[in-house]
Amino acid sequence: MNVNLLVGTVKGGFLFRSDAKRGRWSLEGPLFKGWKVTASGRDLGGGYFVATASEVYGVAVQRSRDLREWRQVEKGPRWTEESGFKMNQIWTFARTTDRLYAGVDEAGLFESGDGGESWTLVEGLSGHSTRKVWFPGFGGLCAHVVLSDPKDPKRLWCGISAVGVFRSEDGGKSWAPKNRGVTQVIEDKAEKEIGFCVHGLVQDPNDADTIWRQDHRGMYRTRDGGDGWEKIENGLPSGFGFPIALAAKTRSLFCVPLESDEYRMPVEGKMRVFRSRDGGGSWQPLSKGLPQEHAYMGVLRGSMAVDDLDPCGVYFGTTSGTVFASADGGDSWAALPGTFPRILSVEAFVES
Amino acid sequence: MARVRVEIPSVLAQVVEGRRSVEVEGATLSEAIAALVRLHPALGIHLFDESGRFRQHVLCFHNRTSTRWMEHLDVPVADGDTITILQAVSGG
Repeated sequence: MNVNLLVGTVKGGFLFRSDAKRGRWSLEGPLFKGWKVTASGRDLGGGYFVATASEVYGVAVQRSRDLREWRQVEKGPRWTEESGFKMNQIWTFARTTDRLYAGVDEAGLFESGDGGESWTLVEGLSGHSTRKVWFPGFGGLCAHVVLSDPKDPKRLWCGISAVGVFRSEDGGKSWAPKNRGVTQVIEDKAEKEIGFCVHGLVQDPNDADTIWRQDHRGMYRTRDGGDGWEKIENGLPSGFGFPIALAAKTRSLFCVPLESDEYRMPVEGKMRVFRSRDGGGSWQPLSKGLPQEHAYMGVLRGSMAVDDLDPCGVYFGTTSGTVFASADGGDSWAALPGTFPRILSVEAFVES
Repeated sequence: MARVRVEIPSVLAQVVEGRRSVEVEGATLSEAIAALVRLHPALGIHLFDESGRFRQHVLCFHNRTSTRWMEHLDVPVADGDTITILQAVSGG
């Protein structure tokens, strides 16, 4: 059993490899030197995807069977000229039993039914009747998270920053905003169900209707697929933050609270991860091995990951270029070797 | 039909199997660039935006003449000509 940790930065990707103990890591890279590595994921056949982006040369999808040899996909996600939208970045990859999805900026969703070789627009989302009042937040106008129901792959959720969460019951043909109970960030004069700034979503693997939401306005949970959300911040020093992660086996939740949207730094200059072992009912700080003085870095929404082992490994990368790892479910932490550019994405892949 | 060399910036070398230059054939600049993209379709993603025009920060030179100074790309090319793709960098 091996664990691969793919760290995406603004100037390339870096690959950490370890055995199941996760105590010693080797480091390879930079991969895609000079490119932003904005997201990574697995395809349906066990291969890997990486999304690259450049302010100059645009966006691409790279594929690999072994994390060593990479090949660029020729028909990746791309807006048409008629759409009027620009492809700025791929934010996330997701997969159902038979399809792959890519969430992008400017906000839209693309799907692939051929294993990732060609991608087509999911028209129902970016063609939504409210699209004219979608506006970007600090992170852009990004569709950054996609969830699905393992029992019914036509049920999909998509989170769009500064817009909100949408749910589809028909494989993406139609979408409905699902944000009731969440506080808005920007209220539109007419479209009252838009203007919610979701930062991250994770889903119970055994109950697709239970979803946790790190939002601009706080930490929330739904038990009915998003029809209603409740705030769950018992023990958190701040409701504001970006990433949220869930350990599939232990059901532990992890988040990194930051001091308000004005400051976006660890509360009191202490780098702490918060863990919930009761489904978000309460949160406890985890700080052993993390800097507890003068820590003013951020952790972006794609920069936290959990592996599938038990105890789970938890990993996050900071805007100041450090990767922190825990091999004991968050009880203790250590910085991995290397000082990197601003970290945009972190994914953990377990290989048997 | 002329044979011209296209020089590729290092950050795009991975798209053309690690090479820094590619030889293509065409009678005009437009044909040569089209031949380049036929040969390496993934390169088209990086050179052209959604409108099909060169991306805002991509520069293309025919020998020493920028395509931005041209009214169109249907200009003849000759054996030994060079097309250079560059990243437009400014500011600090």
